[in-house]
Amino acid sequence: MQPGAAALHSQARTNPEPWRIIQEERNFWGRDVDVWKEFDHNIITHSAAHHLMSIDDLIGTHGYARVSDVARELNITRGSVSITLKSLKEAGLINQDENRHLRLSEAGQRLVDQIKAKRLLVKRLFTEVLGVDGAQAEIDACKMEHLVSSETARHIISLLKFIDSNAPAVAQFRDALRAFDPSCAGQPQTCAACESSCLAESLSK
Amino acid sequence: MHRRESDEEQSSAPPTSEEVIAELNRLFAEEIEAAVRYLHLANAVRGLERLSVEPVLKAGFQETIQHAEIIARKIRSLGGVPQTDIQVSCPAEPLTGRDAIRQALTVEEAALEAYHDVLRRVSGDVSLDEFVRAQIAIESEHVAELRELLAE
Repeated sequence: MQPGAAALHSQARTNPEPWRIIQEERNFWGRDVDVWKEFDHNIITHSAAHHLMSIDDLIGTHGYARVSDVARELNITRGSVSITLKSLKEAGLINQDENRHLRLSEAGQRLVDQIKAKRLLVKRLFTEVLGVDGAQAEIDACKMEHLVSSETARHIISLLKFIDSNAPAVAQFRDALRAFDPSCAGQPQTCAACESSCLAESLSK
Repeated sequence: MHRRESDEEQSSAPPTSEEVIAELNRLFAEEIEAAVRYLHLANAVRGLERLSVEPVLKAGFQETIQHAEIIARKIRSLGGVPQTDIQVSCPAEPLTGRDAIRQALTVEEAALEAYHDVLRRVSGDVSLDEFVRAQIAIESEHVAELRELLAE
């Protein structure tokens, strides 16, 4: 048994609530060990996602995309682009024709469409619901776009649809959020959002 | 998104020295990155093929460093300072000789295309045009040698 565990068991008998929280926290961290691995198992890396998006942008704007165009747009070397594109070709996400023009495969296009949709959803969630500044929201959405699961994205859509619905509750929610004082007056023990220490304070350190 | 100049716009006026330096810095980055990749590949090959492949890759490393130096001197002669911001990821995985040569070919082909790309953009500047053409000849030879080694 780990140090302090006996005391926790004893405490759990008299007051089950803190025990439940500790159990949940342990479950969370236990799960987290696998979650970070899932990050590596993502279908494409952040860099690869940008290569695909760049090809899609270039084709949309100019009708074609070459390795040099992608390199210039992403401001990286052609060597780097070629290495990344090699793995994307092997994964069946892009093709290159006889003129060395790049095309997204059906699977590649599907992936790009999903990433674009997720970027838009995350950005809207951050700006319209959380009130994050547009430029910061764009940066954060860019970092998360290819990592958000489709299930989570569907929940974000539901929330945004609700926000767009102009239901009276939405206006009340917005007003209440704007008027709400998020500070916990240095007492994280009584704050519903904080844990052992003030979460807002740890972000400002 | 960056606006792409049309071919007409590219050839209408000679590039300014800032534009030339920017193009040379792109080539500088290509060569520096290629050198890093060559160094990695030369040390990642395992198996008997290592005996024949390692010297080829080491020679590639030396040459790309030399090319980077030539480009850096060219940038200096134009009053600029070489500048690069590269991110190279080389995985810790052993490679067969053939795989290493394939990767080297990808890098050399990219460098060759980069020189062709710059040639289109610096037309009008005679000395740079000559320099880039000479580099294209050298890079074309490298590509041909690597393709010959692969015999694919």
